Amino acid sequence: MNVTFTLLDWLWVALFLLLMIGSGVLFYRLGKRSESDFFLAGRGLPWWLPASSVYATHTATDTPMWITGVIYQHGMAGIWYTFFSAWAAISSFVSTRIFRRSLAYTQAEWNVVRFTGLGSELLRGWMAGWQFFMNMFVLGWVGIAMGKVCEFLFGWPTWIGLISFSLVCAIYVLAAGYWGVVMADFQQGIIAFLVIMIVSFWGIFVAGGPTGIIDKLAALDMMERINPFAFTGWWSGSFPAAWFVTMLIIAVLGGFGMGTSIDWYVEAQRIQSAKSVRDASYSIWWGTLLGLVRNSVWAVSILAFFVLFPGMTETADYEMGWFRLGFDYLPAGMLGFFFAAILAIHLSTISSHLNLGALYATRDLYQHYVNPKADEKKLVQVGRISTVILLLGSFFYGLMMEDITSWLIFALWIMAAGIWLPNILQVIWWRFNAWGYLSAWIANLGFSWLVVWILPELGVIPELLDYQQFWLLMLLGALVFIPVTYLTKPESMDHLVHYYVMSRPIGWWGPVRREAERRGLITPAGDLAGLAAELSRPDDAKRK
Amino acid sequence: MPFIRRTWTAIEADEWTKEDWIAIILSPLSYVLLTLGVALSLLLLWYGYVMLIVGIILTAVLHWVIDPKLKAISAEYEKKQQDYLYELEEKVRWKHFTREEE
Repeated sequence: MNVTFTLLDWLWVALFLLLMIGSGVLFYRLGKRSESDFFLAGRGLPWWLPASSVYATHTATDTPMWITGVIYQHGMAGIWYTFFSAWAAISSFVSTRIFRRSLAYTQAEWNVVRFTGLGSELLRGWMAGWQFFMNMFVLGWVGIAMGKVCEFLFGWPTWIGLISFSLVCAIYVLAAGYWGVVMADFQQGIIAFLVIMIVSFWGIFVAGGPTGIIDKLAALDMMERINPFAFTGWWSGSFPAAWFVTMLIIAVLGGFGMGTSIDWYVEAQRIQSAKSVRDASYSIWWGTLLGLVRNSVWAVSILAFFVLFPGMTETADYEMGWFRLGFDYLPAGMLGFFFAAILAIHLSTISSHLNLGALYATRDLYQHYVNPKADEKKLVQVGRISTVILLLGSFFYGLMMEDITSWLIFALWIMAAGIWLPNILQVIWWRFNAWGYLSAWIANLGFSWLVVWILPELGVIPELLDYQQFWLLMLLGALVFIPVTYLTKPESMDHLVHYYVMSRPIGWWGPVRREAERRGLITPAGDLAGLAAELSRPDDAKRK
Repeated sequence: MPFIRRTWTAIEADEWTKEDWIAIILSPLSYVLLTLGVALSLLLLWYGYVMLIVGIILTAVLHWVIDPKLKAISAEYEKKQQDYLYELEEKVRWKHFTREEE
């Protein structure tokens, strides 16, 4: 499909790009003040700014393709694939609060706040390097998705879409750092949300409205497509209920931990940029809710696309469904506005990952290992250089993405499965130590290869469904990290007490709490009950 | 004392209490109901409206329960944040680890 733009369409696009570059110019002075400004906007943002960034960042160019794919395939039940982001439900009031109080710049740095000694340093170095690579990979992944959209619309070679818009984005990220990211995200979030609503409702209208969609589904004898619980059985089929239960457990209970979702690493930056614990909690909760509501609207519009074009079998055809609703049916003059919104979706993700990857490179690698005495000016300079390296690396990844996608999806999967439980234990259990956590990462790497690829290939075990792999990898990992934890020393009590008083974690922290009470650093629970009773008494009773 | 506390001292708010657990239970329920409620309401299904309304009510209750506590935690923590930031810079440096190991 090739789209022809009018002058008005190109004006929309030019106006939008100027607005974004303007964000960089406007906030240039704030961004260059310090490392804290360049990467966390000085830790002073009200909740709605990081919330809009959470929403905008997780609305990428490939998101509508992916959601279209699962809804077209499974009907409304496919919406549960998008529910992995619900880790934020519990996290907003548990791990977000704890992480914000730790003040760690990154999840890598958090390892040396929570743990101590050589184990914590190994964890920090590993996580920082891995996150630098992951951000480069995500940039390449999202960049090539933009390349495909431009190829689909204008017939351009994919590299043009990959490189050109990421370069524009880099201007305001290099100029203003996270200030530029978050201010542009706010505008991009509004534009993207509005246009997603307009295009989706337009598509629903074209399909005959809600009743038209249901009537056509009935005529196709596919009414189960509006049932969000239309599973293929408890254990079997392409969409078993056991998968659903596993997904709910991973998503919801994962909120007690840190890093149980790949999105956590991006949100960690937003959490620390909020001006208070309360602002951090609400930014994650409301930003995620906005994304879930967006998915719901998308889901209905994809049902509209399904009744307009039923029977597509090729993923490459139907995954562009939502884009087609916009480009096929919006009136002339609106196409440029739609494309500007696609750019908004694209740039918000690119800018966030450019700045986040640079944060790991600057704070956890350069400042930690190379030059601990670097001044603020130098750190901002290194932040900018890291941004350029990430950008260039992402072009390289983007252009070779077709070859490495399956490897990298595997890399994403291994961190989700066997590390899920340790990611929770690091928050809720005082005795879990750096060596236990490190052994979980290493064991998971080996077990994942065995369970997902090698053992099925050798015929030792059958090919397992993804939810079965999850439980097996979790069990195998626990057989390693629990003995390792008990066979190695706990973290030093001094370190744990300091961490406990500062972060006040939830869960099994009894020995640490008692030590903190003994040192007079926190009020004993019994005294608190007395204090509460005293406060609740009427004033005249207190006087007596 | 009322079942839901809405006035907190800073010290009390630092503890994990039943108000936190109410938020932990209500929050995922709100997400599920709002996600399904919006989608099914757009299809004009009556149970979609019910889910949406219950989801909105639960969201309001959730914030009513947890907001006073979050305010108390935040106010107290912000007073200490500058000192904690200074300590953080000391604690996360590589020299800290080498000194300890020596």
